[in-house]
Amino acid sequence: MSAGPATALLAAVAVAAFLVDRIWALAAMTVVLLVLCLRAPTERRRLYIGGALLSALGVIVISPLTWSSGGGTLLWEGPTLPVFGPLDISTDEIRIAVVNGLRLAVVGLAFGAYTLLVDHDRLVSAAGFARRSALAVALATRLVPSLERDAAGFAESVRGRGVELHGVRGYATLLSPLVAGSLERASGLAEAMEARGFGRSKPTRAPRPAWTWVDHVALVGAALLVGVAAWL
Amino acid sequence: MALATVERLSFAYPGGAAAVRDISLELYAGEVVALLGPSGSGKSTLLRALAGLVPHFHGGRFSGRVEVGGRDTRSHGPAELVGTVASVFQDPENQVVMTRVENEVAFGLENLGVAPELIWPRVEASLGEVGVAELAGRRTVELSGGELQRVCLASALALRPELLLLDEPTSQLDAEGAEAFLAAVEHASCAVVLSEQRVDRALAIADRVIMMEEGRIVLDAPVGEARAWLAARRPRYAGGIEPHDPPSRAEAGTPLVRLDAVHYAYNGPDVLGGLSLSVRRGEIVALEGRNGSGKTTLAKIAAGLLEPASGVAARAGRATYLSQDPGRYLVRETAIDEVALGVSGDQVRAGLALEQFGLTFATCRHPRDLSSGERERLGIAAVSVSEPDLLVLDEPTRGIDPDRKAALAAWLLEQAEAGRGVLVATHDPLLPAHRRVRLGEPFGVPVAA
Repeated sequence: MSAGPATALLAAVAVAAFLVDRIWALAAMTVVLLVLCLRAPTERRRLYIGGALLSALGVIVISPLTWSSGGGTLLWEGPTLPVFGPLDISTDEIRIAVVNGLRLAVVGLAFGAYTLLVDHDRLVSAAGFARRSALAVALATRLVPSLERDAAGFAESVRGRGVELHGVRGYATLLSPLVAGSLERASGLAEAMEARGFGRSKPTRAPRPAWTWVDHVALVGAALLVGVAAWL
Repeated sequence: MALATVERLSFAYPGGAAAVRDISLELYAGEVVALLGPSGSGKSTLLRALAGLVPHFHGGRFSGRVEVGGRDTRSHGPAELVGTVASVFQDPENQVVMTRVENEVAFGLENLGVAPELIWPRVEASLGEVGVAELAGRRTVELSGGELQRVCLASALALRPELLLLDEPTSQLDAEGAEAFLAAVEHASCAVVLSEQRVDRALAIADRVIMMEEGRIVLDAPVGEARAWLAARRPRYAGGIEPHDPPSRAEAGTPLVRLDAVHYAYNGPDVLGGLSLSVRRGEIVALEGRNGSGKTTLAKIAAGLLEPASGVAARAGRATYLSQDPGRYLVRETAIDEVALGVSGDQVRAGLALEQFGLTFATCRHPRDLSSGERERLGIAAVSVSEPDLLVLDEPTRGIDPDRKAALAAWLLEQAEAGRGVLVATHDPLLPAHRRVRLGEPFGVPVAA
């Protein structure tokens, strides 16, 4: 499948996740996207799948405690905490938490599938307009694995000096160098792009394979998916 | 007629001192120029001026004139010079734009406005020229540093430039990757200016040598004449340097680290194949082998950053580890804090370490404001400040100039004489060592670029 229709389909799934509030439909989307992401190599997919599923789990576990729907059957009532207020869990809150958690999983996995499986180069070249914006998005997407590699390098650099990083606070100290490293990398890349003529007037495009019937079906499917989700 | 002319060029980056001063030179079609000099001598700035990136991309104070292919770079920006000039920079990771190799090579051609039907044939031809045609369909993130840098060279050659500018293109590569890259450069059919710290190889392919120091040209001569000048005045840049005398015998005593029949795997086959190794006090052990042969893995196990899947790793005393490209992995806001991190924030010891490495001036500066050479020295100061029993260094000579390499070799000897054990993963046969351990063939270990 071409990059454009594949991206449209993934975007449609993410949009559909916000339009639909039926758990079975959201669960089905999650499973389909999970299977899709599992096609990527293990070491590359781990971050995206783990990130999406853990975030979703966090929403499902924490949000019923900290938010009150005022409806459903009250299952548990706990103490009242400063800032959070009364802790309680009702059937309604659990249902809403599962819906929101699955929505987050769908969006996270759709992004993961886009990053892991879509050919971003073809997406950039397929962009009929705003090609620079498409390139910026593709480069930003590529930043994720670079950041992951840099974070590992920083942690190793610190441990190599006999200093152990403990807890969230310890790892949070690596955020500033990560940002600085990204800016430095971005500056280097911008220079290299300019040196290769990026920004010249009248660029051309290398010929790409034409869309197949699968691409057309995917585009129609994307539109249908959003329509069905709105109807549900 | 000269292909490029530089007349009385002086330039300072914004807020900085002059990086090049009153430089004049001419470059001619088809010649290969080796541009030598220590880090910070102005080589990169000169190359950027020839590409139009100075002053257009960097800003700063510019005086004099640079003309390339008959066009004045003050009125023609870098994008306009593409087609006449092409550049390859130090770090391949920071210049790759696209995710697939063939698209990466096509990127510049598309920008240049080459007719669509000519783009793929030129991509194919350029990849073939540098010997990486088989990589065309691969993802750029899957390539080794050496492969990626050759793809960058193919991207530059695809533009059919008259002048190819190479800014220490092998500094991030291992010996094999660098050799393959420079072999490809040798066959380029355009004028080449090659800034390079692997002096022997650069001199072997050069017609002419330009040497820079402190922003000025101190030598501009044909290669034969230049060799004689360098041998007399800058012997470290003349090539053919003999290895250091072997250091005196190490103390016999309990090993600081003893690895016995160790195995390790990264989601795949065993990397080390049951290797055994020990390092004693006062001993320098060099780990040699091709990229992917397991040097880094073994070094990390010795330093305690990894544990072997099986086998014995017995460690006595404290070890510190300096990763490849340490300048990239500095984590604090000032140089003194960076060094103090290893000694629980002791600023006095950190200050002494900075002084020892000639970095007192940088005490309160951000590490990323330092030059690459200064960052590397800062990295070494940061791992040695705590006076560990065992120092583990991973490719410490990669990309450093001959003067700094000699200083590093002398420092390693000092460390050994002070009773420290040193384990150094290196491709450099000139580093002093009591023992050299050669690792086997690569098993596909993930390696840094």
